Amino acid sequence: MRLDICYRTRFSFDAPVRESQNEMRACPVSDERQQLLSYRVIVEPSARMLSFTDYWGTRVDHFGVTDTHTVLEVTAEASVETQDPPPVSIGPPLETLKVTGFRDRHEEFLKSSHHTDWNDEIAQAARSLAEANGQDVAGVVMEIHRFVGEKLSYKPGATDIGEPIANIAAKGVGVCQDYAHLAVALCRSIGIPARYVSGYLFSSNDRTGSIDGDLVRVQTHAWFEAAIPGLGWLPLDPTNGLPVGRQHVKIGHGRDYDDVPPLRGVYSGPGTPKVDASVEIRRMDPARPPSTPMQPSLLRTVQAPRTRQQQQQQQQQ
Amino acid sequence: MAEPGFFDEHIDEDGRTRDHYRPVQEWFDRLTLEQVKALEEQRNESFRRQGITFTVYGGDEGTERTWPMDLFPRVIDAEEWAMLERGLIQRVTALNRFLDDIYAGEQAIVHDGIVPRRLITSCTGFEREAMNVAVPMGARCLVAGIDLVRDGDGAYRVLEDNLRNPSGISYVIENRAAMTKLLPAAFSDLAVRSVDHYGRSLLRALRSIAPPACGDDPTVAVLTPGIFNSAYFEHAFLARSMGVELVEGRDLVVDDHVVAMRTTRGLERVDVIYRRIDDAFLDPVVFNPHSTLGVPGLMAAARAGTVSIANSVGNGVGDDKAVYAYVPDMIRYYLGEETIIPNADTYLLWEEDQRAEVLERIDHLVVKPVAESGGYGIVIGPKATDAELAEARQKILDDPRNWIAQEVVHLSRLPAWAGDHFAPRHIDLRPFVLSGEQVEVIPGGLTRVALREGSLIVNSSQGGGSKDTWVLGSPDQSGAEAQS
Repeated sequence: MRLDICYRTRFSFDAPVRESQNEMRACPVSDERQQLLSYRVIVEPSARMLSFTDYWGTRVDHFGVTDTHTVLEVTAEASVETQDPPPVSIGPPLETLKVTGFRDRHEEFLKSSHHTDWNDEIAQAARSLAEANGQDVAGVVMEIHRFVGEKLSYKPGATDIGEPIANIAAKGVGVCQDYAHLAVALCRSIGIPARYVSGYLFSSNDRTGSIDGDLVRVQTHAWFEAAIPGLGWLPLDPTNGLPVGRQHVKIGHGRDYDDVPPLRGVYSGPGTPKVDASVEIRRMDPARPPSTPMQPSLLRTVQAPRTRQQQQQQQQQ
Repeated sequence: MAEPGFFDEHIDEDGRTRDHYRPVQEWFDRLTLEQVKALEEQRNESFRRQGITFTVYGGDEGTERTWPMDLFPRVIDAEEWAMLERGLIQRVTALNRFLDDIYAGEQAIVHDGIVPRRLITSCTGFEREAMNVAVPMGARCLVAGIDLVRDGDGAYRVLEDNLRNPSGISYVIENRAAMTKLLPAAFSDLAVRSVDHYGRSLLRALRSIAPPACGDDPTVAVLTPGIFNSAYFEHAFLARSMGVELVEGRDLVVDDHVVAMRTTRGLERVDVIYRRIDDAFLDPVVFNPHSTLGVPGLMAAARAGTVSIANSVGNGVGDDKAVYAYVPDMIRYYLGEETIIPNADTYLLWEEDQRAEVLERIDHLVVKPVAESGGYGIVIGPKATDAELAEARQKILDDPRNWIAQEVVHLSRLPAWAGDHFAPRHIDLRPFVLSGEQVEVIPGGLTRVALREGSLIVNSSQGGGSKDTWVLGSPDQSGAEAQS
């Protein structure tokens, strides 16, 4: 599927600020399942861009605006061709997780992290799933995927970035970021390496993944991947219970959200920002050129930083 | 008299003063009690006047104390120093190669199976944000402090590497200045190698890692967390001795990935930053977002290659104490050499069999957290209570990667002033090694001394003092460089 993506974030400050320094991770990665065709970034006020690939393989665009400003807007436009992944076959038995080389390679995806710090309840739930259902690793991961979808109800605004995963599990509500973190925590708690994925979902409804047109206006999305010995990474989207397919455009992965936030940065000055973040995705059928030009949309206000220097974070939904 | 188990620096097995200590020993033998007390008073007054103090953390709040320098110097003869110098250059060269391999290379040492990948990824000091940030000449440990001790046989051993922000060099220089004033006659018969060129050597090393594009006259600055830091005195001292600006994070600004400092003349570009701020506080964009000590955008500027940062970001992966155990393997792997100064015998607690042995013998071993420095968190088995040992066992079981164990090294002894007489006290040595176009060792280093009788803890933060360290020049070195 050919998808054109326009990611845009606009900060409108109520008083002038300066010395803003930011990092954006919005560029689709090229991998076995998807190919990046084009990508460009526009910043207003204009700024010099430093682009590089980080430790996790994600493209980072770094820019700073030194002079006083009251509006900062960054736009990333990408074209990407996606495919469905090969179907999942039955994975190897659970004992293969204990192979030293496998554990050594995936050490950083086996430990708990800031957003995946599981408690006894989460570990117990994962153990029960493994005992009841799984003889093979892929089977247990599928069970975890299903379990997370049942455990959480999709409810935007019910959770905050940084809220402990144990809280979220106890409350039983969350957005895609919480679904992904909970799945990652469950996997890791029983020794299955798992990582958090940031990306875009071409769907008008994150919860169902349904497609009812060629243009959607959404937010960035998140899912997870689990390492299956001998088979590689199995990507799953617990928010809507779907396997990751051609609707999914991956930006990158990491231990959790903190390794792959769409935008983070700091600034100086007394101003408080109103943050408008949007993603517009258009399906591009080569036989049917777009009839309307892409319109940026400024849909949603996300957390407004209050301190003088504050991380600019957006929740993935 | 020599006591079994400890090596005495100044006397041999027969109780005779060793040759290289003879002039010093004779000189001190002639001093009366009153003369020593007068010298002590003079020393305290001099350090106090110059504000040479350090802060001890812990307890209710930081306490400021005058720098405790013992009058009896440590002496190292030329031949012994030549061996140490070779060993230190070898070690720091291998560590630079290792860090460059991990951050800017292909991690060949991991792919070749010399160190396991998880050893790297599990280090708290492994900074993924520093990945692929190049450092000219791979001089990542621009200033290294390598802690050495001598075991019961007098053999030197490396106890730990300090590759992040080793402090103490200012005390080396101040100790020498004080000793030269207090005991000028003691130097008269000896060719003691000088240490006061440190500022020039450090500046040369820092300038050598400047970005190639910045021209012949790079601007260097020392970046300090500020006056409340325990080593602020040293930061100011180093900036002064190099003749460069001492700045805080708020004095620097990054514009289009170029770092500049605010001066009375306006903005001035900075090419090399000798930072004495920990990685976690260096740049709030990529590290601790609440840090107000750092410089937003600094890491991106370093990545863009417009500024060089010393010591390099992420060096904690080189001085993690579990990684330390692999340094002899690094020396073999990168240099094809055998280690000149061996490690202390070390157990890795994530290895099941080693852990079992350690838990069994914990009351005979020293247990250390892998990522701490300054002696914090160390449990000395033979001196610990049962409750402390039980707690250490539990901590090891809870997080085996976070701890190592070592055989107790019976630190060597040297006389120190104990109020009314000189008595043997345990010492170690932290030589300072500079990496730039070449690797250079400052003669001697900081000798630390455990001033409490029988104590093996030499850290100044925990009741330790220091001694001036005299490296004797070989006859051909006694000319230009030697100090009289």
